[in-house]
Amino acid sequence: MLLAYAQLSLRAFAAIFAPLLGQRSWRLSALFNQMVNIGVASMPTVALANFLLGIVLAIQGAGQFQKLGATALVANLVAFSILREIGPLITAVIVIGRSGSAITAELGTMKVAEEIEALNVMGIDPVKFLVVPRLLAMILMMPVLTVLGEGIGLFAGWLISVTSLHLDPVFYVANSIDAVEQKDLFTGLLKALIFGGVVGTVACYYGIQVEGGAEGVGKATTKSVVTSLTSMLAMDALLTTLIYFT
Amino acid sequence: MSETKPKSPYALEVRGLCRSFGSRKILSDVSFQLKHGEILIIMGGSGCGKSTLLRHIIGALKPDAGEIYIHGTEITKLNDEELSKVRKRFGMLFQTGALFNSLTVGENVALPLLESSDVAPNIADLVVKLKLELVGLTGFEHLKPAQISGGMKKRVGMARALALDPDLLFCDEPTAGLDPVMTAVIDTLTVDLTKKLGLSAVVVTHDMTSAFRIATQMIFLFDGKIIASGTPDEIKNNPDPILQQFINGYPDGPIPFKLSKDDYFKRLMEP
Repeated sequence: MLLAYAQLSLRAFAAIFAPLLGQRSWRLSALFNQMVNIGVASMPTVALANFLLGIVLAIQGAGQFQKLGATALVANLVAFSILREIGPLITAVIVIGRSGSAITAELGTMKVAEEIEALNVMGIDPVKFLVVPRLLAMILMMPVLTVLGEGIGLFAGWLISVTSLHLDPVFYVANSIDAVEQKDLFTGLLKALIFGGVVGTVACYYGIQVEGGAEGVGKATTKSVVTSLTSMLAMDALLTTLIYFT
Repeated sequence: MSETKPKSPYALEVRGLCRSFGSRKILSDVSFQLKHGEILIIMGGSGCGKSTLLRHIIGALKPDAGEIYIHGTEITKLNDEELSKVRKRFGMLFQTGALFNSLTVGENVALPLLESSDVAPNIADLVVKLKLELVGLTGFEHLKPAQISGGMKKRVGMARALALDPDLLFCDEPTAGLDPVMTAVIDTLTVDLTKKLGLSAVVVTHDMTSAFRIATQMIFLFDGKIIASGTPDEIKNNPDPILQQFINGYPDGPIPFKLSKDDYFKRLMEP
């Protein structure tokens, strides 16, 4: 199973880079379609989730910092944790639930309806035709969604701090900027990029190997979501260790 | 094609094909040939191995033993890239049509043209119109597969199979679910194509009326073996009781109606 997954991923990435070596280009219309499906359509949910988490972070942080008499530190906490961890993580969770599952279900249904076999018979590579647009859209849109989510999360933290904690609006912003470095933003986005690759390959792999009709599609979708979540978290732990402990 | 191989007298040749799934033998020692311009019907009851045989011929499954030659090229040991070259020379009509639901009817037919060769879009449009005219679906280009009937989907599948002007056509149950008129249309189309364009066709079916109308060669599969083969007349006059039961559609005979001949009462009472 792991071998088949690795094989599919390698073939997909090879096909993604093939146009750079002068081969036929990607199917741009399919790529844009998938970018809309995966990216644009996820924006409201990603924004809402990050907004709510921004609020929660600010309130929870304020509770702790109040005991130390340092409520102003809420700004540091929110900026720091959203950029480094919460933003990429919660965005990936939303994308897995919304788009990863949809990719697996769609490809699985196509497999069951003999559509993938039909592609093979027509001499069209299903990896190039189906996997590449989805995987590439996932890799491109995950950082975009993450930036959007982080912006909204930071705004939510600011909003709560200014309205309920009576912190100075300008002072809060200055504090936030002081607390983080550019590196925090970039490592967060690097994580998002890699999460996109992981979620895209896992979702396509489980979709393409579906067998056994509607029941098979359901089972594959469940497996796809569970595997995406766990491998995304494992990747997060690995990257955090590599970036901040070495 | 760039390679110059000695041209085989057969469009398709299968030699000693064997395949088991686990301990179940699905195909055992299946051999037959198809000459250019002929229509071969593969008959057999449900579960006899017809679909498995067809999936081997199109290269979707690999056999345990045996060889398959398409225009003289042995395909069971080819890698994906070589196989896709061979596949461009044949068309396949799937049982349910296997159309892409996200594309329109026209885009479905144009797909093999646009993806596997550098055809200009306006030429592809023209070919789509020609092929849809052929199956009697002119003007349906802009509908989605979900908006047309099952029979129409099948005809679109036929148009798509013909898009690259193949010289070998495979049909999996082409007339199942079609009304008698549409069945006749598909049959006439298959015969016309072989006569006018020199296409060879392999048709898997258990529609006997249609089979005898179009066949030039027939093989009958039972339990993974070919138990009868020949021209339609030879098949009609073959005294084999299994074959006669099948082509005449008797409910009981050598092909048992019941799964096992054990005592019915005993089976009911078994825990």
